[in-house]
Amino acid sequence: MNASNPSSSAAGAGSADSTAPRRNSKRPKYSRFTQQELPACKPILTPKWVIGTFLLVSVIFIPIGVVSLFASQDVVEIVDRYETDCIPEPSRNDKVGFIQSNQSKTCQRTLRIPKHMKQPIYVYYQLDNFYQNHRRYVKSRSDQQLRNNGSLQETDACKPEDTTPGGAPIVPCGLIAWSLFNDTYDFTRNNQILNVNKRGISWKSDREHKFGKDVFPRNFQNGTLKGGATLNPNLTLSEQEDLIVWMRTAALPTFRKLYGKIEVDLQRDELINVTLENNYNTYSFGGKKKLVLSTTSWLGGKNDFVGIAYLTVGGLCFFLALVFLLIYLIKPRQLGDPSYLSWNRNSSGH
Amino acid sequence: MKRYVYINDDNLAKDIYCDNRISNRKYTILNFLPKNLWEQFSRFMNQYFLLIACLQLWSLITPVNPASTWGPLILIFAVSSSKEAWDDYNRYLLDKKANEKEIWIVRQGIRKLIQAQDICIGNIVWLRENDEVPCDLLLLGTADPQGFCYVETAALDGETDLKTRSIPSACMGIDVDLLHKIKGVIECPSPNKDIRRFDANMRLFPPFLDNDIFPLTIKNTLLQSCYLRNTEWACGVAVYTGNQTKLGMCRGIAEPKLTAVDAMIDKLTGAVFVFQIVVVIVLGIAGNVFKDKQGRKLWYVQYPKEGPWYELLVIPLRFELLCSIMIPISIKVSLDLAKSLYAKFIDWDVEMVDPETGIRSNAANQAISEDLGQVEYILTDKTGTLTENKMIFKRCCISGRFYGNESGDALTDAQLLNAASTGSADVILFLKVMAICNTVIPVRSKSGTISYKALSQDEEALVCASARLRMVLENKNGNILDINFNASPMQYEVLDTLEFTSDRKRMSVVVRECQSGELFILSKGADETILPLTYSGQQVRTFAEAVEQYAQMGLRTLCLAWRKLEEDEYQEWTSMFKEANSTLVDRERRVAEVCQRLERDFEILGVAAIEDRLQEGVPETIEILRKAGINFWMLTGDKMSTAIQIALSCNFVSPEPKGQILIIDGKTEDEVCRSLDRVLLTTRITESESKQDVAFVVDGWALEIALKHYRKPFTELAILSRTAICCRVTPSQKAQLVELLKLCDYRTLAIGDGGNDVRMIQQADIGVGISGREGLQAARAADYSIGKFRFLKRLILVHGRYSYNRTAFLSQYSFYKSFLICFIQIFFSFISGVSGTSLFNTVSLMAYNVFYTSVPVLFSVLDKDLSERTVMQHPQILFDCQSGRLLNPSTFAGWFGRSLFHAIVVFVITIHSYAFEKSVMEEVAMVAVSGCIWLQAFVVALETNSFTIFQHLAIWGNLVGFYAINWIVSSIPTSGMYTIMFRLCEQPSYWITMILIVATGMCPVLALKYLRYTYRPSRINLLQQSERLGGPILSSGIIEPKSRSSLDKDIPTDSVYEPLLSESPSATRRSAGPTQRLDSVQSQSPPHSTHTRKDN
Repeated sequence: MNASNPSSSAAGAGSADSTAPRRNSKRPKYSRFTQQELPACKPILTPKWVIGTFLLVSVIFIPIGVVSLFASQDVVEIVDRYETDCIPEPSRNDKVGFIQSNQSKTCQRTLRIPKHMKQPIYVYYQLDNFYQNHRRYVKSRSDQQLRNNGSLQETDACKPEDTTPGGAPIVPCGLIAWSLFNDTYDFTRNNQILNVNKRGISWKSDREHKFGKDVFPRNFQNGTLKGGATLNPNLTLSEQEDLIVWMRTAALPTFRKLYGKIEVDLQRDELINVTLENNYNTYSFGGKKKLVLSTTSWLGGKNDFVGIAYLTVGGLCFFLALVFLLIYLIKPRQLGDPSYLSWNRNSSGH
Repeated sequence: MKRYVYINDDNLAKDIYCDNRISNRKYTILNFLPKNLWEQFSRFMNQYFLLIACLQLWSLITPVNPASTWGPLILIFAVSSSKEAWDDYNRYLLDKKANEKEIWIVRQGIRKLIQAQDICIGNIVWLRENDEVPCDLLLLGTADPQGFCYVETAALDGETDLKTRSIPSACMGIDVDLLHKIKGVIECPSPNKDIRRFDANMRLFPPFLDNDIFPLTIKNTLLQSCYLRNTEWACGVAVYTGNQTKLGMCRGIAEPKLTAVDAMIDKLTGAVFVFQIVVVIVLGIAGNVFKDKQGRKLWYVQYPKEGPWYELLVIPLRFELLCSIMIPISIKVSLDLAKSLYAKFIDWDVEMVDPETGIRSNAANQAISEDLGQVEYILTDKTGTLTENKMIFKRCCISGRFYGNESGDALTDAQLLNAASTGSADVILFLKVMAICNTVIPVRSKSGTISYKALSQDEEALVCASARLRMVLENKNGNILDINFNASPMQYEVLDTLEFTSDRKRMSVVVRECQSGELFILSKGADETILPLTYSGQQVRTFAEAVEQYAQMGLRTLCLAWRKLEEDEYQEWTSMFKEANSTLVDRERRVAEVCQRLERDFEILGVAAIEDRLQEGVPETIEILRKAGINFWMLTGDKMSTAIQIALSCNFVSPEPKGQILIIDGKTEDEVCRSLDRVLLTTRITESESKQDVAFVVDGWALEIALKHYRKPFTELAILSRTAICCRVTPSQKAQLVELLKLCDYRTLAIGDGGNDVRMIQQADIGVGISGREGLQAARAADYSIGKFRFLKRLILVHGRYSYNRTAFLSQYSFYKSFLICFIQIFFSFISGVSGTSLFNTVSLMAYNVFYTSVPVLFSVLDKDLSERTVMQHPQILFDCQSGRLLNPSTFAGWFGRSLFHAIVVFVITIHSYAFEKSVMEEVAMVAVSGCIWLQAFVVALETNSFTIFQHLAIWGNLVGFYAINWIVSSIPTSGMYTIMFRLCEQPSYWITMILIVATGMCPVLALKYLRYTYRPSRINLLQQSERLGGPILSSGIIEPKSRSSLDKDIPTDSVYEPLLSESPSATRRSAGPTQRLDSVQSQSPPHSTHTRKDN
C-alpha cells in the first residue's frame, strides 16, 4: 500500500478534514441485496423428499421405458450383410484385389419380409468400421465451394483432393466427396421392379442452402486415384442427393445412410430380390457393408437402448427408494441433532 | 550519501536533481501495451493459454477454429488491461492536477507564479494559509514572529492533530524582504522515506550569518502533501522534489498477497496440467500406433507414404489442443468477479458501520477475502485496538495520598478538589507538571472555549484533567505558556523539550517561570524510567505500590517528577544539547545521552492513572473467535501487568484455575533460556492433558533474546500455546513475530490502529486496520479497515467464511465443467480413430466455457450455507474453513470423479440413442452439449444451499439462454449448425434422451449426497438441518456448559468426525469452551515466578 497519494489530498484542499474519513463516512445504502439478506428458499434433503423424488422418477420412467420399447419393437427391420457373400468364392482370398479389378461385381440377394411393413420403407446402407469422423477426412471439404459457384477456387481445406495435377479445381473437392459410396441396389418383387424413390432422401435445408443450385461437378474422379462414385456432370450439386447424404458425415464409425424409400407396403413372407453392384472397397480396412430395410416409429428406427435404459433407471430408482425407506424405518435418525456436533461430544471430557 | 542544497541558486541545482514533477503512473502511452502484456504474461496460466492459442494457429493440428481460445483470451486480457489503463489514467489526471497547480516561488529575487512541477531544488517557495505543500521544504520564515507555523500531516501519516513547525534559529529575525535574497547551503541526507527524521545542517552565506552551522530537524520542515494551517504565510526552500520527497519515497507498491485458496487452486491446476500431459502422451502414442496399424489401410483418408519430420508430433499436439480446455480459461475471470463482489459486500455491510463515527468498513484489498475464513492466528495490538484509546484521567497518588479510590474518579474526589482549591503545594506542583509537561496545543474557538490538540492521548487526558482541577492551560504562544490557576494567570517559558521516544519512555521540559525567573525541569514517564532517577533518599515505595495497584486495575500509569535547575547548570547543559541535536550520525542516541544528564535527582510528585476503556464487545468477540479455533496473540508496548490485566478482562486467558499464565523473563541469555525451557515443559504437560488454557507472557527484552538465540524452542512454544502476550515490544518485533508464525505455515491476521502496527499489518497474511483515534496510518496500510474491533468477528465468521465456501465451490465447479467436456472429447477420440477430431464445434466450445457454464455458477456468490445467526452461535464451524475442508485434493478428487461419471453418462447415452441413421456429427455434438448443460444446471442446483430469485433466474434462465443462442445460430444458413437445433427440438427422442441423461447423471449423485447428509453428516449439514427444520439446536441456543455435559454422557465418542480435523494444526489446540467471566481482580504474578500465577 502506498502511504498516501499527494494528489488525492489535493482534492481536499482548503478543508480541515482529510479526504479518507469523509469518503468512509458515507453510510452504505441498505438493500437486501447488499446485506446478503435476499429471501431465499433453503431446501434440505429430508428422507421424505428424497424417497419421494426417487419414487416419482421411477413412476415416470418405467412407463416411458415400456412405451419406447414397444415403439422400437413395432419397427420392422431387415439387415443383410453382404460384403463377403458378394465376392465370388474363388476371389475370397484376395478381396482387395477383386474389388479393384474390372470383373463384374453384380450380386443377387434375396430378402424375406418377416412382418408386414408399412410404407414408407427406408432403404439404408450401413458401413462398419468406417471412420467418417477421422480428422483428416472430416475436415477435407469446402462448404463455400459447394454452396457457391463463385468459390470454385476455395479448395485449401480439401487436400489432397483439391485440384487436378494441372491445377484446375475439383468440384466437389475433398476426401469426403471423393470417397462417395457407390454400391447400388435394385429391388424386384415377384419379378416386378420395386421402385425406390431416391428423391427427398437428403435434408431439405442442405439442398437449399448448403449445396448450390448453380454448382456443377467438375474434374470429379478424373485423377489418377480412383475413389468412389462418379457424379452426373449435368446435374447441379443440389440435385445430387446421394452426395448430399454422404456429405453429412457420421459421428460414429458404424453408421447408416439413407439410400432411398420404398413407397409401397410389403407383405409378410414376401421375397424381395436385390441386384446389387458391390463396388465399394471396404475390404482394405476390414469394414462391413449391410443393406437395411426399415420402417420407422415416432422414436425413429429400431433402437431398444432408450427403452431398456429407461426401464433400468426407473427400476434402480424404485429400488433405491425402497432401500432408503427401509433404512429410514429401521434406523431412523433425528436430523440436526446437536449431540452429533463434534465439539459438543469432545467436551465430554470436562 | 549527502545532498547539498544551495538556497536560491537557480543555476546549480537544475541538472543534478529531478524537478518537482510527481508521477504515480505505472505506464506511458507508448509502453502501456508491451509493459501491461508483459505483466500479464508473467503468470503461468496466461502463458499456458497463450501457448495453446498460438498452437491453434497451426491449421494442421487445430481441432477447432482458433477463435475458441483467442476469443476468451483476448476478452480476458482486454478486461484486465482496460481496468489497469483506467486506473492509470485516473492517476495521471490526479498527478497532472497536482503538477500544474500554481505556486509562488522566488526567482532572481522576484516572486513569481509557476507551476508546481517546475520547482527546483533550492527554490524558495511561498505558501499561504491552507495551501498544500508542493514538495519537501525547509522552513525559512513564517508570519509568526516567533517563527512557528502549524501543519496538518494527515495525508502523510494519518495523524489529524496540528503539528508545530519552527524556523531554524539561524533564520530568526530575518526581515521578510530579505528572505528573497537569502543565500546559503543545506547539507542533508539523500532522499529517504523516514518521515520522522531529517538530520541536516544549514550554513547561511554572508551577509546573513557567517559560517555558523545550524542543526536542522524534522521540526524545521514542511513535507509534501501537508497543509499549512493557522498561519498566514510561510516560506521555505525546496530540499526534496518530485518523486524523491519523503512521501514519494514512502510510496511503494506492495507485493500482491496470495491467499491459501489461490495457492491451493494453483497447486490443483498444476496437478491437472500434469494429468493433461499424461493424457496427451498416452493418446498421442495410441494415435500414432493406430495410424500405423490401421490408419494407413483407410484408403479414403489418404495418409501420405512419407510424412514430414514432425509427423510423430502432430497427433500429440492435436490432443494437447483438445485437452487444453481441461484447465478452464474462465476460472480467473470468474474468481476475480466473485472476489470483487465479496469485497463489495464488506464495504456495503451496514452492520459493520461504526455507529459513533459513521466510519464504514472497507476492503482495500479485494483479492484475499477467502483468507479471512482461514485465519488461524490473530495478532492484535492493545491500545486503540482492544481499547477505545480514549484516555480518561481516573486516579492519582500525590505524595503518598491516594485520590479517587473511593469514587473511582479522581476528578470528583472532594479531597482532591479541596486540595487544589486551597493550594496545597504538592497538589499544585503535580497539576503544574500535568499542565506544562506536554506538547499539547490549546486552540481557542470563537466562543471562547478551549480545546486541546494533542499527539498523545495521554497528554490530552492529563491537560484536560488539570483544567478540571483549575489549572488551565490557556494559550501557547511560541515558547510562552499561559496558565491560569484559580483565576490567577501565570506565564512560563519553555526553554527545551526533551522529547518522548519509545526507548526513553519519558519526556521532560525545561521551563522558566516568567515572574521569578526560576528554572525547572518537569518530567513525566513510565515508572521504570522515572523511579530510578530520584534523588537519593526519597522513598519511592509508596509510588511503586501505587503503580502496582493501578496496573492491576488495568490503568495506565505515569509518574510525574520535577527538579529545580541552577542557571549555570542549565547553560552548560543546553550547549551540549544543541551540539547533540546538530549531529548528523546517530543523533537520537546522542540526544538521549545528553537528556539523561539533566534528568536526574528528581523529586517524585506522584502517579497519575489513566483509564483506557475496553471497546464495546471486545470480550465477546475474542471469546467467539477463540471458540472458532483462532489463536490470539496480544502484542503491546504496554507494561506486563497492564497487559495481563487487559488480557484477563477481554477473555484472552481464562481466569484461574482454568487458565494458566506462564512468564518468560530474564535479563541475560541464560536466564531467558532457563525460563523458556521451564515454560515449554509446563506447556507440554498441560497441553497433553488439554484441559487448561495456557498462555505465555514475554516482554520485549526476553523476546529479543529468545528470537535471536533460542528460536527453535520459542517456535515450539508458539505452536503449542494458544495464547501469548508480548509486552514492551517494538514495531519490528511485532513484524518478526508475524514472520515467525508465517514460517510455521499459519494463516495470520494482524490488527492494529497505530503507526507502530503498520509493519506487522503489512507483514501478515491479512492486515486489518482500525480507523481509530491514532490516525489512519494503520487503516491505510491494511487490507481491511474497520471502525471497531468487534466487527472483526463478522468480518471473519460471516464474510471470510462465506467467501471461502463460495470460492471453494466456484473453483472446483469450474474444473468440473471443463473436465466434463474434455472427457467427452477424449472418449470421442477413441471412436474417431484416435485422430484428434473435436466432437464439438467452435461456437459450442467457446460459449460453453464463457456463457453456458459460467453464468449460473457466478451466482453462487449469493449462496449461504448457514445463516449468519447460526454461524455466530456455533463459531466452531469455522474449523472446516481453517482446515481447508471444502477445497483440498480429496474434495477435488470428488469433483473429478463426478465429471468422469457424468462424461461417461452423456457420452454413452448420446452415442447409443443417436446411433445408426441418426449419427450425424452435428446432431450428436449438440445432443452431447445439451446433455452437459442440463447436467450442470442440476449439479449447480443440487450444490446450492439457498436459492434466491437470482439463482433460480441464473440456473434455469441459463438453460433457456442456451436454447435461444443455439436457435439463433441454427437459423444462420452459412453456419455449420444450420437447422440442427430446430431439428433436434422437434424430435421426441431428443427430449427423451435429455431426461435420461439428467436422471442417470443425477440419481446416483443425489443418492450419495442424501446418504452422507443423513447418515454421515458433516457439521455444516448438521447445522443446516437443525437451522432449517427448526430442530433442537435453535431451542438450546448457545450451548451452555451445563446442558452440554448432560447431553454428552450418553453419546459414545465416535472417531468419524475427527481425522480431517487433526490435519489442521489448530485442531490440537481445541478451544476450551466458553470461559467464565472475570469476576475478581487477579493479582499479577510475582515478577520472577515462572509458574502458575497465584491469587492473592
